[in-house]
Amino acid sequence: MQIIEEIKNNELISNPNELQKICLNKLKLNPLPNTKSEYWRLSNKSKFSRFLDHSNKNKESKINLPYKKASKNIIRLIIGENNSINLEEENYSIKKLREKEVVDFIKKNISNFNQNDHWSDLLNHCLSSKENILGLNISGNKIPPLEIFSASSPDSLNAKTLILFFEKNSKVDLLQINLGNENSSLSQSTYFCLEENTSVNHGVVSYGESKSNLLNSLNVIQKAKSEYSLGSLHFKFNYARFEISINQLDGNAKTNIKGIQITKNNDQIATYTQMKFNGPNGFLNQINKSLADGKSHAVFEGSIIVPKIAQKTDASQLSRNLLLSRHAKIDTKPQLEIIADDVKCKHGATISQLNEEELFYMRSRGLTLAEASKLQLSSYIQEIISSIPISKDRWDLLDKILKEN
Amino acid sequence: MVSENLVKDVVSEPYKYGFVTDIETEKISKGLNEDTIRLISEKKEEPEYLLNFRLNAFRKWQKMEEPNWADLGYKKINYQDIIYYSAPKQKEKISSLDEVDPKLLETFDKLGIPLTEQKKLTNVAVDAVFDSVSIATTFRKELAEHGVIFCSISEAVKDHSNLIEKYLGSVVPANDNYFAALNSAVFSDGSFVYIPKGVKCPMDLSSYFRINSGDSGQFERTLIIAEESSSVSYLEGCTAPMFDTNTLHAAVVELIALDDASIKYSTVQNWYAGNEEGVGGIFNFVTKRGKCLGKRSKISWSQVETGSAITWKYPSCILLGEESVGEFYSVALTNNLQQADTGTKMIHIGPRTKSTIVSKGISAGNSINSYRGLVKMGSKASGSRNYSQCDSMLIGDQAAANTFPYIQSQQPNSEIEHEASTCRISEDQLFYLQSRGIEFEEAVSMMVSGFCRDVFNQLPMEFAAEADKLLALKLEGSVG
Repeated sequence: MQIIEEIKNNELISNPNELQKICLNKLKLNPLPNTKSEYWRLSNKSKFSRFLDHSNKNKESKINLPYKKASKNIIRLIIGENNSINLEEENYSIKKLREKEVVDFIKKNISNFNQNDHWSDLLNHCLSSKENILGLNISGNKIPPLEIFSASSPDSLNAKTLILFFEKNSKVDLLQINLGNENSSLSQSTYFCLEENTSVNHGVVSYGESKSNLLNSLNVIQKAKSEYSLGSLHFKFNYARFEISINQLDGNAKTNIKGIQITKNNDQIATYTQMKFNGPNGFLNQINKSLADGKSHAVFEGSIIVPKIAQKTDASQLSRNLLLSRHAKIDTKPQLEIIADDVKCKHGATISQLNEEELFYMRSRGLTLAEASKLQLSSYIQEIISSIPISKDRWDLLDKILKEN
Repeated sequence: MVSENLVKDVVSEPYKYGFVTDIETEKISKGLNEDTIRLISEKKEEPEYLLNFRLNAFRKWQKMEEPNWADLGYKKINYQDIIYYSAPKQKEKISSLDEVDPKLLETFDKLGIPLTEQKKLTNVAVDAVFDSVSIATTFRKELAEHGVIFCSISEAVKDHSNLIEKYLGSVVPANDNYFAALNSAVFSDGSFVYIPKGVKCPMDLSSYFRINSGDSGQFERTLIIAEESSSVSYLEGCTAPMFDTNTLHAAVVELIALDDASIKYSTVQNWYAGNEEGVGGIFNFVTKRGKCLGKRSKISWSQVETGSAITWKYPSCILLGEESVGEFYSVALTNNLQQADTGTKMIHIGPRTKSTIVSKGISAGNSINSYRGLVKMGSKASGSRNYSQCDSMLIGDQAAANTFPYIQSQQPNSEIEHEASTCRISEDQLFYLQSRGIEFEEAVSMMVSGFCRDVFNQLPMEFAAEADKLLALKLEGSVG
């Protein structure tokens, strides 16, 4: 764990900026997360240590984009390559945040972070240089679709940070793509602040190459009357953690989360979500799916916290898991912590294999076993990826996944 | 709008088992060290293997840390400030019930557990445990005719040493967890049941645990062995007087079911829960585990948990035998400042094993009621199934209901389903019942009763009545 040694010995960054200093100080005493805590208990220790074995000092290589930018109408940004954007159109504006705004915002957030639950973010802020932080202020409601890329370079550990402020009444479709390179680690931290009456349709697609690792942290703050929808897909990582933390500051907001993680070979992919309702009338609909094959391990832990103030909350969480191989493993832990009494909260979890009756029906109609299984898998995956805001003719995710399998 | 206070009034009913029996007792001095353990062992005239078992457990316990993952807030227990052995003084060797101190019999009479011949509960054999010792076991002769052994564990150590040596600690090893290790070191009494091959136990067996002394802990140990093709239904009840100190209760229950055997273990737990400010009450840290060792064996846990200041209890099933079945039915009610962290573990190891979990939690006052359960499918548990359902009901806006299901699978050819929901006593339903002329209290009681029905249906007849009475006490005020 080269990085940890460097943190301990003050060698990680030769000339740290203010933010890096704060985070380094937070990590120096206790540089690793507590592996006995619920949050890190199931993380594969050797894989995690491999994440930290790459150097952060290599020169970054140019990113290989997975598909073409089809139309002029799309705004495409690559964190670390083109950070300067300043668009002032009739119906919308996208402006770069001033450096001070970015620093103040992160500082404010870090002050509430505990070393264990936000370890990924703290590491990210230690490592990510000014060039690798993209901060934008977005307003308007006829914004063209946004695509934001972030990637690691081969044999390196790279940290990228994305901060987006959505002004009142804005409405946007946004696709975030995290690409892992061979033998690399990517630390991605993302912050969204949704003002009142905003509606954000967010897609996250993370896929890697052989031996790539990912720590992906997403923090969302929602004000009243905002609506946030997330569709996420994680696959082809040797080790990946997707940490989602959503806070409905004043309640009265809507959150939809749909996610899928696909693991094969020796992969471990984990999703951790924490949903906090800090006001009444909150709404959550969450579904998380896993597909585990080979000797892989899929993990889901979701917690929903409903304090006394959050009356009339309506929250549901479903974890559905398919175990395709005898050597694969699935852990799931949906959890509810409720104090408010006038709420509707439910969760469910299932682990099984492909439905035999459905397979039998399709085979009796003349489909081969392989075709029938593929069809079933497609529908299982399609339910989630249909909520990722990218059209099939631009990037056929389903086809990509099925080919990989 | 139905006043929430009304519901709260219904919920808070005084604890009626809180009296203390004034009886001369023999206590050893406070504190825990190897000498204490030797002393307990000596008092019970135990063979050497058992003393070694205790000492071994104690040494392991000393190296262990008290678990804190359950998120229970309670003041630190001073293990040196507890009396580990307390027994009512009585003559040597009691040959019949007539020689038992009448005060003791009176106590159990008052608790609704008559032990004297003429008043004995029909068709239920009772083993009554008072502080650290077993007072009496009824219907022994009748049971012996069928070859069933039902006695206190101290007697079993003397008379059936081979069985104890073979099975004690085989399901819950001495170093299993902090409280099990403590129990293994200092356990005083408890019940022992042995059902021979092919015997369906002719009556329900039951243990009644009574803590009387305020400064001694209760550490009982229960061991039930069901041989091939046998079956038994076992009931357990517990109460304690009101003290403003906290008393520790750390029990271990071990069940073993061989081929085609079935064990049904039902508990109605009504330890003193402390007063409204959370002063006093029992700290209940219990390890209960059953091993379905044989093919097609079945272990079923049902529990109604209404007492204790702190409950930490996870009755579990290890499903080893092919096609073995594990069941867990639970109602947990918390009020005032009670905290309950309870649930189950279903460990599927053998092929085609099945388990069902139904848990109902009701939280009122400022209490915290958590369900914490583990379902694990091992890689050889092909064709296994699990179904879990945990529902919570909240009364008032200060109580908390948490659900923490841990689900783990390594077997593609198995199915796990889990569902959980949270609700409150719906005003629409209350209004409907009241508009039909049903009193408020009765309406609440009907709804709670309906909420718990899935579990009550699983309780044995004699107990269902007691459980109903208990919930009635805690929830339904004067309405029965």
